[in-house]
Amino acid sequence: MTILQALDRYYRRLEGVAEPGWSREPIGLVLLLDEQGVLIDAEPWLELVGKKYKPKLEAVPKWFGRSGTASTPFFLWDNTSYVLGVSRKESAKVERDHEAFVEWHSDLLKETDDQGLIAVRKFLEGWHSDRFVDSPFKPEYLDQNVAFRLLHEKNFVHERLAARKLINQLVQPDHDTKQIFCLVTGDRGPEIRLHPKIKNVEGTAAAEVPLVSFNNESFESYGQKQGANAPTSQAAAFRYGAALNHLLTRDGPNRVRRPIGDATVVFWADASDYQVANLAENIFGNAVDPQRIEAEAARKLAEDLEAVRKGKAAKQIINVDQDDIANGLKYYILGLSPNAARLSVRFWERVDFADMIGRFANHYNDLLIRPSPWQAPPSVKSLLTRTVVPDAVRKGGFGKIDKYLSDNQGLLAGEIMRSMLTGTPYPRSWLANAIIRLRTGDNPGYGWHAAACRAILFRNQRLRRQNPDIPEKGETPVALDREHRNIGYLLGRLFAVYELAQIAALGRGVKATVRDKYFGSAAASPASIFPLVIANGQNHLAKARKTPKSAGWAVLIERELTAIMDLIEPVLPHSLPRSLKLEDQAEFAIGYYHQRSVKLKSDKGEEISLAAEDDAEIEQGDEA
Amino acid sequence: MGIRLHVWGDRACFTRPEMKVERVSYDVMTPSAARGILEAIHWKPAIRWHIDRIHVLKPIRFQSIRRNEVGAKASAANAASAMRRGTTEGLGIAVDENRQQRAALVLVDVAYVIEAHFTLTAKAGPEDSAAKHVSMFRRRAAQGQCFHRPCLGTREFDAEFALIDDGDPLPPSELPVDRRDADFGWMLHDIDFANGHESRFFRAEMKDGVIDVPPFGSDGVVA
Repeated sequence: MTILQALDRYYRRLEGVAEPGWSREPIGLVLLLDEQGVLIDAEPWLELVGKKYKPKLEAVPKWFGRSGTASTPFFLWDNTSYVLGVSRKESAKVERDHEAFVEWHSDLLKETDDQGLIAVRKFLEGWHSDRFVDSPFKPEYLDQNVAFRLLHEKNFVHERLAARKLINQLVQPDHDTKQIFCLVTGDRGPEIRLHPKIKNVEGTAAAEVPLVSFNNESFESYGQKQGANAPTSQAAAFRYGAALNHLLTRDGPNRVRRPIGDATVVFWADASDYQVANLAENIFGNAVDPQRIEAEAARKLAEDLEAVRKGKAAKQIINVDQDDIANGLKYYILGLSPNAARLSVRFWERVDFADMIGRFANHYNDLLIRPSPWQAPPSVKSLLTRTVVPDAVRKGGFGKIDKYLSDNQGLLAGEIMRSMLTGTPYPRSWLANAIIRLRTGDNPGYGWHAAACRAILFRNQRLRRQNPDIPEKGETPVALDREHRNIGYLLGRLFAVYELAQIAALGRGVKATVRDKYFGSAAASPASIFPLVIANGQNHLAKARKTPKSAGWAVLIERELTAIMDLIEPVLPHSLPRSLKLEDQAEFAIGYYHQRSVKLKSDKGEEISLAAEDDAEIEQGDEA
Repeated sequence: MGIRLHVWGDRACFTRPEMKVERVSYDVMTPSAARGILEAIHWKPAIRWHIDRIHVLKPIRFQSIRRNEVGAKASAANAASAMRRGTTEGLGIAVDENRQQRAALVLVDVAYVIEAHFTLTAKAGPEDSAAKHVSMFRRRAAQGQCFHRPCLGTREFDAEFALIDDGDPLPPSELPVDRRDADFGWMLHDIDFANGHESRFFRAEMKDGVIDVPPFGSDGVVA
């Protein structure tokens, strides 16, 4: 299934999207006319988008693009240069444009007997651009798009029946154009010369750029020009353009909210039953960006995904019983990035529904770590914010975070999302960045870095398994595993216990704990740093033993220390490795986090742990 | 007379006509690309290759790459006038003035078996016979001889090839069992050079890892 064919199929499912010859454009000003063409009022036509007022998008007749220096007016709507002859730009073109507009409309509307069209004609006959300075016009109306409406009517003039009839005649496909084989539909049809333009892709040079374009000599083959290089019929081209524009509507349900790298990503589902497809799209949207939905729904989603992982059939999530619908249900994911005056396809995936749900389930499962640092499954953005962005930048607010991420980690978000959607290993640079953050002082007790580390390591391990469903020995554990023998993991646990010893001796009020001073370097070069940590630790234990209150704790801590030390195998000539490779440093962070929340119980029922109650770092994810 | 050739490579880009600028590859090899490989190994005006079947041996995987290319085209008229003048001045294209960055979505790690036969054309002389050309092809393919290095779609992705003799088994297919049947929609069959370089398309369906390619003039190939 090609991209254009899949979009064509999607178009058939849509209602209320533009028909041929029409397009949704922003209209900022509406002129109210009475039947004699006298101007009653000029209404601004705005809506609140976020915090600003913007012109509303309305369906208007538009069947050609405008470029170059010729004056090509639109029918019954246009910007103020064409309609009123005024503009912020001072140029002779404004006059020419207005003349062209008036002339064309007088010509077209000469013989109409529709009230609305007559009103527009009379208005244009009686209008002079000097009238703009009086009320009801204001200077901020300049250069907006203008449409007409009759007094006491709800519709625009261009939506009236008579206007539609005229438009249909004007839009007739040109039967002189060559009939060619259309590579989208497989039928013959009139050839399209310039493919439709696509709006709302992030980062494009112009507001609308075509997906298929041959705007340079070096792109042409066999001497074919423009659209002849890719024979497509006008109807098919219109349909895929309308479908793609619909998918790309800002904040629409089919669009992944943030660009993946520089690629804007849209997704849709295809099934013979349209309702099923809609449901499937909902699930995809929620799974990709769990912050879009409320916490309750996010938790339910997490449970569903967990059930799928354990073997429940994916199709039961959307209550599909018929096998043919379930088998035909596919997701399409398209990533588009801007490139000069064109769009390039960053990725294009066709995935079966069951496979896709499985991939989501794997992603959220790979991220699991106990105790859980989050309450609802995290989105890629919040993962990055908490593992890769420096603390100082994070406290500066969402604007600073976004800027940091796009300046320094533009590709990383994209690669992580791609791993999630395609099931491939996570990018190793994510691991490196998370470890660097820990080295420079981010709090490893938050658990996000540990979760990221585990996700990256575990996914690689899972992909290397002999049998994908059977866990093997030595895989990084979800929760504390006292038998796990990775040297990094054991050292991380050791470190946590020594920190506990410091707290036992000095209480929790210490400003610079052993973690602040030594965490990063202990992970990187254990042989040099651990002797210091151990020496300090012994002093702390000695002090703790002498204080009656903490004497019991000292015993528990020593017991734990012995247990861990027993598992460490010495590496000659030192007993600890000189340095740890990246994966082992990741295990260090995971081991530390696991050990931190362990409550050591004594026979008398006393409990201590590194993570105290008031130290609870389970924070809600950031608002995306 | 049919031959079977095993081709494989690290990357391939069988460009879709509609995504020609920011290249997107078809999922599998097109018949025209297969013909290009065979013609690189052995071709004379006396013969014309027809592709019968394409076997897909490895899973279909994509990768996105971005490359800096040149935006200008070398002009044949300029070259002709330079030849007359006897100097190459003005012929060069400076890369930094004509830079275009183009992204491409290419196939990764591909392997195919091409089954094809050839027919003799009107240009075949009295010494040309099917047996002669078949044995020439077999000899050249077995020795690795070619006029120019065969490529997988675009010249930068070169193809390794090996002849499969009659009676030898085909290389094992590494396609997952549930992915051996697929419908790829309308795929470019070839270019009709005799009729204004028009593209011809056919409905590409893969059954059990094999795509049957209809002959050029038949119903299956539409213009």
